[in-house]
This record gives sequence, structure tokens and C-alpha cells, in this order.
Amino acid sequence: MVKDSYDFSWEDLGNLEIGRPNLGNETSVAVYRLMQFTFKDVLSKELGKEKTSQLFIQAGLVAGREFCRNILNTSLPLNEFIAELTQKLVDLKVGILRVEKAEMDNLKFVLTVSEDLDCSGLPVLGETVCNYDEGFISGIFKEYTGKDFLTKEVDCWATGDRTCRFDVKPV
Amino acid sequence: MVSNSESLYKILSDCLSQVQATGIGPDGLVFPVDCADVPEGEHKIFCQNLEQIFFMLNESYRYAQSLAGGELNAEVSRNNIFAMPLKALQASLKHLTWQTRQVAAGDLSQKVSFLGDFSLSFNLMIESLREKDALEQRLKTITDTLGEGIYLVDPHGCLVFANPEAEHLLGYREEEMRGKQIFNTIHSRQEDGTIHPHVDTRFASAIRHGHAYQDDNCVFSCQSGRLMPVSVTCRPVLFDDTLQGLVIAFRDITEQKKYQQSLLTINELLEKQASIDSLTGIYNRMKFLKLLTVEITKAQRYKSPLTVIMLDVDNFKNVNDDFGHHSGDLVLRALAKVIGNSIRTSDIFARWGGEEFLVVTPNIDLNQGLQVAEKLREQLSETTFAIPRPVTASFGVSQYREGDSDTSMIHRADEALYRAKKNGRNRVEPE
Repeated sequence: MVKDSYDFSWEDLGNLEIGRPNLGNETSVAVYRLMQFTFKDVLSKELGKEKTSQLFIQAGLVAGREFCRNILNTSLPLNEFIAELTQKLVDLKVGILRVEKAEMDNLKFVLTVSEDLDCSGLPVLGETVCNYDEGFISGIFKEYTGKDFLTKEVDCWATGDRTCRFDVKPV
Repeated sequence: MVSNSESLYKILSDCLSQVQATGIGPDGLVFPVDCADVPEGEHKIFCQNLEQIFFMLNESYRYAQSLAGGELNAEVSRNNIFAMPLKALQASLKHLTWQTRQVAAGDLSQKVSFLGDFSLSFNLMIESLREKDALEQRLKTITDTLGEGIYLVDPHGCLVFANPEAEHLLGYREEEMRGKQIFNTIHSRQEDGTIHPHVDTRFASAIRHGHAYQDDNCVFSCQSGRLMPVSVTCRPVLFDDTLQGLVIAFRDITEQKKYQQSLLTINELLEKQASIDSLTGIYNRMKFLKLLTVEITKAQRYKSPLTVIMLDVDNFKNVNDDFGHHSGDLVLRALAKVIGNSIRTSDIFARWGGEEFLVVTPNIDLNQGLQVAEKLREQLSETTFAIPRPVTASFGVSQYREGDSDTSMIHRADEALYRAKKNGRNRVEPE
């Protein structure tokens, strides 16, 4: 019986070594963005922009959670965990994560992501667009700390800023 | 009033020429045209756009000035297209500020990427700090496991560091002692328990002058009040030829001291065994010869008289034959006790062998020596021994002569003793 909904599993990403022996496991940023923005196009028309943004955040949460579980070492102390996260995001060409402010005691952070996969180089649209990133960051922090996090993008390439800036804090 | 392109061009040209000549002043780049005075149409739209560009340039200029002055929280309009690269720079600087604080707090996981030479320099610095950190960890492991106490003090003698062994040995906690002068605490008393005169200690002097020194017989005061014998080594810590402090390494030598003391005791015992006759408890022949030699040297130097008395138990063979060797031994012990109690403490009394004994009497001439021998003879003849038979002895006396040796003095006393035996025993004969 086919289920009405789908539960993501890391294994569903498939074996790229077998599946793409010649083309490899990388693709172009344009293709990634083509998929994301066409999803946004269709979903916003079906559900409205607000609902679409919420869905992208939720998808980002799942992605962040799975990324953390499967790629990162959650046993590291916080400083070393962030250092590893930063390096992984560079290695996977997601973006250049940097910390501007960190209140370790109450887990409040201001993070920036330069050369972001979702938005860097976009025309100035006058609004932040990195909803997926917001969820992605919250998902990682939730998986690492066990607490719910709220991530809000305050600056974006699409608002005229050359870097995406995120306020991250526990809920 | 801007009426045509030519007049607008001239106004703008004059404005830009002045800016190029004098720079942007405190008022910034002032757009020289009031758009309200420009008639509607292409000229007005052009002027409005250009005024907006002038505004952005001014804002970017002030923004750049703020960043150059270190104001990392400076703000600029989002739609300012000239400020966008500066925003990226601002984000990087903010991040670097945070990273620097992290490094200062000991977080060496920081790494800078994509900032050109700065990334290389920063990452080299981190690598260097990591190596230093690793070195410090290795040194800490060494000092933690070292069987010696280690103190590091500053040039004023105040404690900077103590390893666990130092805490264990003396009982002072590092956190309690840090910043305090330690030699007043650990080196306040001498071995006999009296207060150390502070200024005179080699320890204090080494700290004051940055001298190296070693003391294998030092005493430190424990927190419990116990005085601990220690072997201590001090070495100055120099940086650019300037004294930075002193490393004090010490170890507990209590067991070593005990061992040394036991060795001394054993040596004393061995020496005694080598000097004492096991039957009678008085000096043996070897010790007697050593002591006689010393007395002969004194007699030579001070021209003082010296007499040797040799005595032999009369008919001792009969004692052994009639009453057994055990009884013979009892007789010899009793005789030694009688003679030993009858002579001066400055006299030397020894068993020469068998039933023969010798007495050296310093500062006594031949006549006095004969009197002493006579007294001893009488005491022996009056003593009751553990056998049912009187015990007597014969005596021969010799006096030191110039050029005498121990052998010659004893030889003459022996000859005199022989005469005493020959003349009937139980008597005294001079040389």
C-alpha cells in the first residue's frame, strides 16, 4: 500500500558512486536554484508566499537534522562543532559560515553565510529569501543541543547585503 | 536655474573639478543642482538619479570612514549599491573579531578561509599556538608525573606554578600559595627547627640574584609543621637575558637520610666488632696497637711519660683443665671487669691474646706504673672468682723511651712479665 506522505531517509539520497560513475556527485548551483525557485513558483501560486516560506523552513529543519546526524560529529564541544560545521559547509560548497557573535551560555548566535547556495548573486528583491537556510540552521542546532531553535534571516543578498545574516536563538 | 543640457553639464563639471581638486570635505559630495528648480522632463529625471547617486557615494564614504575607524556596527542603506562590498568586509571583520576573542579564550579550532594572505597568516598563527599548546600539554604531563616537586617562582619569589608532587610532598595547595612568597613559608626553619635568618639563606639569595644552586642537605617546612629533608636544585629562567623567575626542583630524602643513618649505625657496629674482644668486651689486639701508636705520638710530641703494663693469668691452663673452658672464660671476663673498674678512664685496656692483657697508662712514669700494676695485682688476688681456687696474675711494666715503637714497648713489658713468672708469679717486675 502506498503511503499518503513521505518520510525522508538519508539512504534515499542514493549511492552516487554507483549511480553517477561518470558525472560524479556534484552539479551546478544554477540547477540547484532552478529546482528551488521553480518549487517556490508553483507552491506560492498554490499556497501563497507565506505558506510557501513556512514549508521551506520545515524542509530546511529536516535537512539540518539529517545533515547533523549523518555528516557532523555531535560529540564535539560547541566550539569544535561549529568549526567542523563551517569546514563541512565549505567542503560541500554550501556557503562560507562565519560567527559574528556567540553567547555560549544562552546559546544565542549571529551567523553569516557568504557565497550562499540559495541567494548569493541574486538581484536585489527587497526581501530575505533564505527560508530553507533558516530551517537548515535551526535543524542543526536542535539536533546538536536537543532544544528547539528559531533562526531568522535579518540580512540577505536579496535585500542588498553581500552576506546573509541570521539571528539564532533557542525558542 | 538649469535650462538646458549645456548649463547642466557646466554645473556638474565645475562641481566634479572642485571635488577632484580639494577632495570630499566635511559636507561630503554636494549635488550642485536643486532638482526642484529643474523643469519636468528628461533633465529633471537625470538630476534626480544623479542626486541619488551622490547620496549613495556620500553614504558609502562615511560608512567606509566608520569601518576604517573600527566602528564595526556602522550601518548603511540596504539599497546602497556602492556599499555592498564594504558590507562583506564588515561581516568578515565582525567574524574575525569574534574569532580573535575565541582564540584568546583558548579556542584553537578557529580557521579563516577565503581572506587571502590574512587567512594564511591567521591560520599559521593558530597552527603555531596549537604547537605551543601541545608542547605545554607535554610539559604538563611531565611535571604532573615527575617524582620531584617543582615550583616556578617569579623574580620576587612569588609562586607562579606548583606541580602535583610539590603539593603532595609539602601539603600546600597551589591555588592557596599562588602569588605568595614561598621561601618564607617552605624555607623558614633550619634543620634543628630554629627560624632561618631570611636574608642569609642561599635559597633567598638565589632568587634575588637569579643564581643557580644545589643543596643536597636542605630542609623544607611542610604545611603540617613537619620538617622534611630535601635535595633541592634551583635554576634561573631567563628570557632575553632578563630574569623571569626560578625553577625549584626538590625531592624528599627522608628515606635516603634513614638509609644513611642505618649505614652509619652498621659501620659503627662493624667498627666496634673489629675493635672489641668478643669474650671480655674490652679492646682487642688490633685496636690496642692503634691506640698505643697514638699515645706514643703524643708522648713524643709533649715529652710526657707513658707506661705499658702487661699481665698474664697465672697457671691459667690448669683452670681450663680442671674446671673447663667455660669456667676459664668466666675467669677472664671477671678479670677484665676488675681491671677495667680499677684503671682511669684515660687508660687503655685490651686483651692481647689468650690470658694476656695490656694496659697503657698515659702521663705515668715507670715507678708510678709499677704502683698501678701492684694495685691491680692486689685487687685480683683479693677477688673471688667463679672457681674454688684463687686467681692471680703476673705483671711486667715498661716505660716509653725516645725512639720506641709499639712493638718495642710491648716487647720490654713482655720480658718483664716473663721475669715475674720466672720469679714465682703473682708479682710485678719492671723492664
